[in-house]
Amino acid sequence: MKLLNTKTNRKRKYKDGFFNGITYVSSGISVFVLIAIFIFIFSKGFSSLGFDLLKGNYWAKNYLLSVEQAYNTPSHFEKPADLSEDAVWSSKWGIAFVDGIDQNKETLVLVEYVDNQSPFAYLKDESVKDNNVSFTSESGYQLERINIIDTSDVIKIGGNLMSQTAQEVVEMLDTQTKSIREIYYKTPGGGIRGSIIATLYLIIVALFTALPLGICAAIYLHEYAKANKMTHFIRSAIEMLTGVPSIIFGLMGVAVLFPITQLFGATTTNILLGGFTLAVILLPIIIRSTEEALIVVPQAMRDASLSLGASQSQTIFKVVLPCAVPGILTGVLLSIGRVIGESAALIYTMGTYVNDTPQLLSQGTSLAVHIYNIMSSEQPNFELASAISIVILVFVLVLNIGIKWFSRRLNKAWY
Amino acid sequence: MTSNNGLDISDCCLTFYKRIGETMKNYVRMHTSTKKNAKKLQIDARMRFIFMMAALISSSMLAIIVIFISMKGVTPFIGTGEYESLNLFDFLFGMTWRKDQGLYGVGFIIINTLIASFGALLLSFPLSVLTALFIAKIAPKRIAAMMTTVVELLASIPSVVYGVFASGTITLLVSNIAQRLGFVTTGGSSLLAVILLLAIMIFPTITSLSITAIHSVDHEIELGSLALGATKTQTNFKVVLTSAKSGIFAGAILGIGRAFGEATAVAMVAGNKMFGPTFNLFDTTRTLTTTMLSGLKETSGLDYDIRFSVGLVLMAVILLSNLLLNYIKKKVGNIK
Repeated sequence: MKLLNTKTNRKRKYKDGFFNGITYVSSGISVFVLIAIFIFIFSKGFSSLGFDLLKGNYWAKNYLLSVEQAYNTPSHFEKPADLSEDAVWSSKWGIAFVDGIDQNKETLVLVEYVDNQSPFAYLKDESVKDNNVSFTSESGYQLERINIIDTSDVIKIGGNLMSQTAQEVVEMLDTQTKSIREIYYKTPGGGIRGSIIATLYLIIVALFTALPLGICAAIYLHEYAKANKMTHFIRSAIEMLTGVPSIIFGLMGVAVLFPITQLFGATTTNILLGGFTLAVILLPIIIRSTEEALIVVPQAMRDASLSLGASQSQTIFKVVLPCAVPGILTGVLLSIGRVIGESAALIYTMGTYVNDTPQLLSQGTSLAVHIYNIMSSEQPNFELASAISIVILVFVLVLNIGIKWFSRRLNKAWY
Repeated sequence: MTSNNGLDISDCCLTFYKRIGETMKNYVRMHTSTKKNAKKLQIDARMRFIFMMAALISSSMLAIIVIFISMKGVTPFIGTGEYESLNLFDFLFGMTWRKDQGLYGVGFIIINTLIASFGALLLSFPLSVLTALFIAKIAPKRIAAMMTTVVELLASIPSVVYGVFASGTITLLVSNIAQRLGFVTTGGSSLLAVILLLAIMIFPTITSLSITAIHSVDHEIELGSLALGATKTQTNFKVVLTSAKSGIFAGAILGIGRAFGEATAVAMVAGNKMFGPTFNLFDTTRTLTTTMLSGLKETSGLDYDIRFSVGLVLMAVILLSNLLLNYIKKKVGNIK
């Protein structure tokens, strides 16, 4: 064999450098993609993120109102001291308006503050004439249209439809108005409260169904089952569930589990059905993490418990399971992450209609399906979709940190 | 030693043991009643039965899925009286999918799905394996830990978020590229966008399995290679990667499974073409999953049942490609 001379050695060095370089480049690409996703989602969605988004209704509501006869005259109201700088105060009618911008970047007039004695606090719903529903203005309502009768008994129209600013509305109210004929309010909409509630329902239903079943199955597989063909078959059948695409679980949900929810009185696809379907998806996750936790429990503890005369089930419930709690909690966190991110299976089993007041047996959307609903419309609202994505990502990040913490606890014995 | 003395000692012991026995009686039950014991054993047996039932229910889910979807999936070809039955041959090899004209052919959709998934695998596989090698062998400890976190984060991002990202950026990128090259796209929804999206989505799956595979390579093999005069890099690429081949291949199989089954994100960028197959990278496409997601309004009838048939086809495609890749994996062999 000939000795390596400097020339071949150098060539080898360059080659090595190149090969090392491509691994650096490919890792760089993955970092770049992750950063790109975060930058895109946060830059698009951050402006729409806020407390109003989290607690608001998705659907805007329209109210056609009139002022109760007894209060329908101008008087004098004190301007409150803590009114914000931007708001314009109408001293004769006791209401403050402010200029705002909606999601399509159009200007609006919003109600900022209403005095308790103001005529605007004593309204009647005009769309339900028979049963005289009383109504109060609340801050945040959009003043779409206001019809007034001015001093010369002529009807005048103001509000968003006439593209007035808050200043102009107040001027009209204070200088010209004798009485108010009709008010048309719109609530803002575009909030995700309903989807958050539906997601919580899903998490609860899915965990309550999957946890007992999964933990029991894991206990059987690890504590009772003998290493025979039957056990191997059960194991591989559960393992294969992880490879089934979620859309197939959705089909299974409507075909197999829907009749079960019908027993509870369901007529359409519903949140309960979505929860049951998710429970099936979660089974392999929970079984695996519980089994991993059971493996860590030292055999000596079982032996000690058994030798003291405890039966096997007593040993499992009083000795083995308490030791396995961190592992089971890891499984729970993983499951919650899966529930929050799941979409395809839920589209089939819960529908894509965004419901502001979700119930167990009504249709609804989880946060992920809400995003799908927005994105599959004609003009997708990227800002709202990204804002919901931020909410999901924050959840997922917190869960990931929780999982890391728990698995560190799992490695050390905590009992 | 006299016998007298010996008697004394044994007497002493006897009284001692007796005294202990009396005190122990306060703490230990001398015998368990048969009735109580039987009850205890009965509870134990019952619990065992419950645990076994849970395991059986969990494992039977797969069978339930296959049986029920097959039952629903074959109804369009048998006919129920509600609608005219379809021809199975036309369904499997048809090249047009138009509900309005009653044409249901998934032939081109199968081809599209295969193109998109294997395209994504082709793009993602080298990147994933190189990244895994970087994390497991090349990177300094701190950077490796950081990269592991990056891969974990990518894995935990839900698919709809990928979909939002793809329809906001990847489609723009694709339509820009298409304009430069003189092609026309419909707002960027195209085969290329689907491939790029799927490549990003299967990346963490393949990478994390490859890392495990590389970590499990026997250290002796590496040392052997180094002792023969190979450099660290040569060892990494020629010895470590070939030894980890089988595990890396398993990652690829899992990755392509995910690519086949991905639905919501793909539906946002695919464009749902009605005929095909699509070979042009800048043309719109339609995969099995997007077909299943389109037209969700129906709750009965042919358009509802046909979804189960498409689902059945999807399961068949995944199963067949898994078998094929497993066969290749066996052929490629394993060095251990």
